[in-house]
Amino acid sequence: MELDAFRKSLDDWLDEHGEELAPAYDGAGTLDERMAQLAKVRRLAFDAGWARWGRPGVVGGLGGSTLLRAYLSEAVTARDLVEPGLYSMPEVLGPSVITFARPDLSAEMLPPLLRGDEVWCQGFSEPGTGSNLASLTCRAVRTDPGWRVTGQKVWTSLSQYATRCVLLTRTGSIESAHKGITALFVDMDSPGITIRPIETMDGEKEFSEVFFDDVLVPLDRTLGDEGQGWAFAMDLLPYERSTALWQRAAWLHRRLGDLVETAEPGALDASALGEITQLVYAFRARSRATQHRMAAGEELGAETSIDKVLLATAEQAVFDLAAEALPAEVVIGDDPRSDRWRSEFLYSRAATIYGGSAEIQRNIIARRLLDLGAER
Amino acid sequence: MEGDDLALFERSLEHATSNHTGAALDAALDGLGWQEARSADPRAAVSLLFALQGAANVTSSALDQLLAHALGHDQSVVLLPAIGQWSAPGALAGSRLQVHGVGTSSFGARDTCLIVARARESHVAFEVETASLPQRRIEGIDSSLSLVAVTGEVVGGREVGPVDWRSAIALGQLALGHELVGASRRMLELARAHALDRIQFGQPIAKFQAIRHRLAETLVAIEAGDAMLEAAWLDQAPQAAAMAKAVAARGARIAARHCQQVLAGIGFTTEHALHRYVRRVLVLEQLLGGTRDLTRDLGREILEHRQLPALVPL
Repeated sequence: MELDAFRKSLDDWLDEHGEELAPAYDGAGTLDERMAQLAKVRRLAFDAGWARWGRPGVVGGLGGSTLLRAYLSEAVTARDLVEPGLYSMPEVLGPSVITFARPDLSAEMLPPLLRGDEVWCQGFSEPGTGSNLASLTCRAVRTDPGWRVTGQKVWTSLSQYATRCVLLTRTGSIESAHKGITALFVDMDSPGITIRPIETMDGEKEFSEVFFDDVLVPLDRTLGDEGQGWAFAMDLLPYERSTALWQRAAWLHRRLGDLVETAEPGALDASALGEITQLVYAFRARSRATQHRMAAGEELGAETSIDKVLLATAEQAVFDLAAEALPAEVVIGDDPRSDRWRSEFLYSRAATIYGGSAEIQRNIIARRLLDLGAER
Repeated sequence: MEGDDLALFERSLEHATSNHTGAALDAALDGLGWQEARSADPRAAVSLLFALQGAANVTSSALDQLLAHALGHDQSVVLLPAIGQWSAPGALAGSRLQVHGVGTSSFGARDTCLIVARARESHVAFEVETASLPQRRIEGIDSSLSLVAVTGEVVGGREVGPVDWRSAIALGQLALGHELVGASRRMLELARAHALDRIQFGQPIAKFQAIRHRLAETLVAIEAGDAMLEAAWLDQAPQAAAMAKAVAARGARIAARHCQQVLAGIGFTTEHALHRYVRRVLVLEQLLGGTRDLTRDLGREILEHRQLPALVPL
């Protein structure tokens, strides 16, 4: 299906099923409520076929350009049906799992993910491994029955809801750095996994620490070959900075529009509003171009760090503006709408931290795009 | 234009802009068919030429030609709005036409000048003998642009009908946006080369994160402008072009600031090329709407309609 036709028929379907798709709560809702809402939207969109476009046939997809699935993510976000941070997880993990997993594993695992029947989580960061991903130490030892995994992950989003984890493990020596990393596909109900949620300053428990104590993972759950974990991570990170960001652009546009509609006359300064609108539109224009490059089959790489820097700047600017224009809501409001502005404002503080910090993105740009040589 | 044709066209433009400026560049552009290309594929012709012109720090009458063509008066030179403004340079008071605007380097080269004035809700154009206009050559911060200030009352203007001012200005803003991006990219190249060459504390200063992050920040600002320009070509709405020019100009200011700092002492001298770009982008930013005004006007428009500008569909 062509994008224009897809857009038209999807928009019609979303209009027609507006009531059924709408969330049952006001404002942000609790994390449980938002996860249930996400699962409902995914199920309805999958059963009606929309969520299968732009994905390969081997995982139950209907084919077509990746722009189709990008438009679906934009449309459900612009209508405020889902939250981009929750929705984008399969968009980020799915493509790389399809590339690296054995075909029958992705054929089995992807459809329930895309239908919202399952949630996956991404086990990358560790207490000692933030920006320096290649230093990770969560150990996997090959034995006859399978990998034996022992170690700890942190910042693992939605792990308490997850049925599977895409896990980076250390299979070589620590000195082997990025060469000794292997990616595993782990069932979260395996014995030996303990989850401890972390409450963040916006009052959410979206992140967790995940502990692995001699967890058995079958060998056929290796993503790619032993030692290909770094390649897997490098394949995945551009999705984190492309598909996921395109949806964030739709969300930022929506929330800036909400702010313009709801702020009292005089609460918004014309110059500040003009500049922040330009920031949001520039980020969106950049992300749009990235979506088109991806659809044209171009390999995405370090240049997506520019998209991430633009997002972080725009996201913080939008919610700084909101905090200034809606001080009563953000500071003392206790109704659901105020709660939402407040938690989004607080969450936006992390925009320069999550998915590769602002500093790391600038390091990548300097090293890889400006070719300034190694730092040391 | 596509593929090989586009690449060939770009190469000949690059040759022209790296070897010529002013009237000689105009002649070279005529020779390689830029006008025809502009009719056939405005986006490619405008974006390529102006980016290269900005990168080479050269001048041509292409902006004039673009505006004159868009306003339907190819044979005239168009008077630009006053510095910082994007509203029409003419003002009607009864039958008298007052003018406050800027002519580019090709101003004196044409016998007739087109002056656009706001008339109620639309715009009308007047043809005036160029030599009859009260004019003063501008030296200013970038004398190599050879601008002309035109201020005073117009005598003997002939009304030639209504024109679509905002669309013409939008096209000019896109051209200037590309010129700003081209100049910014060149500033970044100059600063990058210096950062790799300059040794302090026993190593190239490019090793220091403070330097790297300034240059990374510059690239981000430039790419934001370029992405906005691409979206504005697709969008075709005047508001999109104004936004794109503002983002490109803000990017040029960021580029000038960071690159000047990285180039440090040598970049502060006239012995290095940087100062020419710093000067140029300051003037380009103020042609057809300064960033401050474009940004504030955008905010006002949004507040008035309580609605954000239209989005370019995916």
